Amino acid sequence: MTRLGRTSVWPGIALAAALLLVCLVLSLVLGPAPLSLSQLWHFVTSGPVPGNLANAIFWQIRMPRVLLACLVGAELAVAGVILQDLFLNPLTDPYVTGVSSGAALGATIGIVLHWSGLPWTTMLALVGGLATLGIVWMAARRRGRIDIFVLLLAGVTISYLASAMVTVLMIQGNQDMRAIVYWLMGSFSGRGWAEVEIALVAVPFMIVPLFFTREMDIMLQGEKRALELGVEVERTKRLLLVTAGVLTAIAVSVCGIIGFVGLVVPHIVRLVVGPSHRSLLPVSLLAGAALLGIADLLSRTVIAPNEIPVGVVTTFVGAPLFVYLLRRGRRA
Amino acid sequence: MAHVSVRDVGFAYDERPVLRRISFDLQAGEFVGIVGPNGSGKSTLIDLVDGLLKPASGEVLVNGKPTVKYKRRDMAREVALVPQHFDLDFDLAVREVVEMGAYCRGKDTAVSGDPAATLERLGVGELVDRRFTELSGGEKQLVVLAQALMQQAQLLLLDEPASALDVSHQLRLFDLLKQLNADGLTVLCILHDLNLAIHYFDKLLVLSDGEVAAYGPPDEVLRPEIVEAVYGLRAYLHHHAGRTYLTFSPRPRGDRLGRVHVVCGGGTGAGLMRELVDAGYDVSAGVLNALDTDEETGRDLGLHMAVEAPFSPVGDEADAENRELMKRADLVIVAAVPVSHGNARNIAAAVEAAAAGSPVWAAEGVLADDFAGVTGDLAPAGVRFFADDAAVLAELRQRGSLHSADHQTADGLESGGSEAGAGSAHEAPATPEDTTV
Repeated sequence: MTRLGRTSVWPGIALAAALLLVCLVLSLVLGPAPLSLSQLWHFVTSGPVPGNLANAIFWQIRMPRVLLACLVGAELAVAGVILQDLFLNPLTDPYVTGVSSGAALGATIGIVLHWSGLPWTTMLALVGGLATLGIVWMAARRRGRIDIFVLLLAGVTISYLASAMVTVLMIQGNQDMRAIVYWLMGSFSGRGWAEVEIALVAVPFMIVPLFFTREMDIMLQGEKRALELGVEVERTKRLLLVTAGVLTAIAVSVCGIIGFVGLVVPHIVRLVVGPSHRSLLPVSLLAGAALLGIADLLSRTVIAPNEIPVGVVTTFVGAPLFVYLLRRGRRA
Repeated sequence: MAHVSVRDVGFAYDERPVLRRISFDLQAGEFVGIVGPNGSGKSTLIDLVDGLLKPASGEVLVNGKPTVKYKRRDMAREVALVPQHFDLDFDLAVREVVEMGAYCRGKDTAVSGDPAATLERLGVGELVDRRFTELSGGEKQLVVLAQALMQQAQLLLLDEPASALDVSHQLRLFDLLKQLNADGLTVLCILHDLNLAIHYFDKLLVLSDGEVAAYGPPDEVLRPEIVEAVYGLRAYLHHHAGRTYLTFSPRPRGDRLGRVHVVCGGGTGAGLMRELVDAGYDVSAGVLNALDTDEETGRDLGLHMAVEAPFSPVGDEADAENRELMKRADLVIVAAVPVSHGNARNIAAAVEAAAAGSPVWAAEGVLADDFAGVTGDLAPAGVRFFADDAAVLAELRQRGSLHSADHQTADGLESGGSEAGAGSAHEAPATPEDTTV
């Protein structure tokens, strides 16, 4: 009976899920070759059919791209929630840990090396991101505990270091500069099922934090208070840091650095459903997927056949929405 | 078995020792306060009891088990802590904040209790649906206390819970703690207000520079000499309206500026005596009737006084002692005391002292209420008059030490005042209208 007064989390989740569904449908239907809803239903139910061009465009190009955008959006949003609350700093985004810069360095190496046979750029980006997480982790370890403040400083430092190395590589590999710049800006253009498979690896990492919502709520009061209330803070912190790091590394490795999603989605969701993680995490996950899905749709349709970098679109879509919600205030 | 047993505990942050050889027991159901100056290790001690810090030496037992062997969740079920600083930048409902306290009790709501009922117990049930960020400081403090109570722990630790509260909220909080204690909780509470500590707590632990200076009932451990040693100031115990109060003066004893004898009575000298003591003079007074306001003040301040029986005229014995005190004094001050035949001998003594060359100052008010017709002798004897106490104190402040100035006055010598500071060596003698009689 004591839970009676608690606001239920389900209306928020249902709303976000509906929003994501609408985004999915729009993204799958709209494009250079628009589909009707019945065509969409037909393609989805019939599955990939060899020899059918429209079917092939849908299943080989549009579907993986849309799925990838939504997966990456969800990953960045969840990583953003975790890191903002661990750092107790609203300006934190998934990239402060340096993981994205490490991934960028890995991708740049992949691009300059011109290896073939495997999606080397993606693989090396993943390796670069995870390696950076490891280095930052080691730097922040003090007497058996992770110092969040040192972690932040180490992350920023490694970021600069990796960016400097990327710059050197860009100047060295002059003919690859364009490819590197495009990768750094972030895009879903030309991504297929291989990238979707990598992004799917992140799904368990998105689920794990959902089991730690109470701990995350309590840790909003600071690490010491969380200890006092009985939370095993170090264990929880490690688990969440690794989760956020892996999510970021995977997201960046498949599509480059897409800004604003990990920063602004948690804020927008917090303004709407409040800071309690039982709502904040699942709703952010769904909203992040929806926002990046829509952003990618706009990036490939607004000035078709050319594309606007998706990071530019996320900013154009997210910034006004964010400002509007901030001014309206929560539950005003 | 003691609820908490601290055994020879030492603790250091890095190489800086904070606590040394701390040993004490806390029995179940006790209501104990921790007092001590800033930096004496109070918060560190609380954190050690809650197992947030590990002792560098010795051990802390909670219910007989060393704190280092507890898991955090198990510890939270035994010990609840109300922190000194608590704020939350996130817009959570009060209900959500309070409920966080039940984390250590798991999902079993029957055990963990109800946030609304817990707030109700503290008399603030109406807060349950408010936003935490909208609350006042006092309300936040009660919400945090409610959060701690949700842990259902038998030991409640509090780190200066009253520091951000106004006086009415302070009293309400301590009454609540007393009630919780009566309900069976063991309470260990850091506080700064020694008078609250005297009134509310069964026992007090006095920490000084990382060591236990005293542990026991308040009237045993908050004796002025202990407070003076621990806080480095002067403390005075007063009894008023059936209660005991401590008041404080900043400077430690031993920093003497000279002896001043005050002639007063009926409360005309109480303020002056306190100010003189605080300024660093050795003060005596007389003749005062026992139980007179000034006599009580003098007793609280620990002054040397010539005292006569209550409501009796000054007798030979008291008069002789009074004259002796005046003789030893570097300065005699006559307060604006009403003069009657009962205390006329005090004025006569002051006149004689002035005539003998001792510096004597008087408040002009003494001339106003003279029913014995003796104050007229003061001016011819060379007594210097001041408008009021403030003027007297201002003049004294300017002079500082009285030691050398008096010798110069008495002997008419310019040299010999070497013990005083350079500032007072060339000061005018204590009696400007020189002794001409």
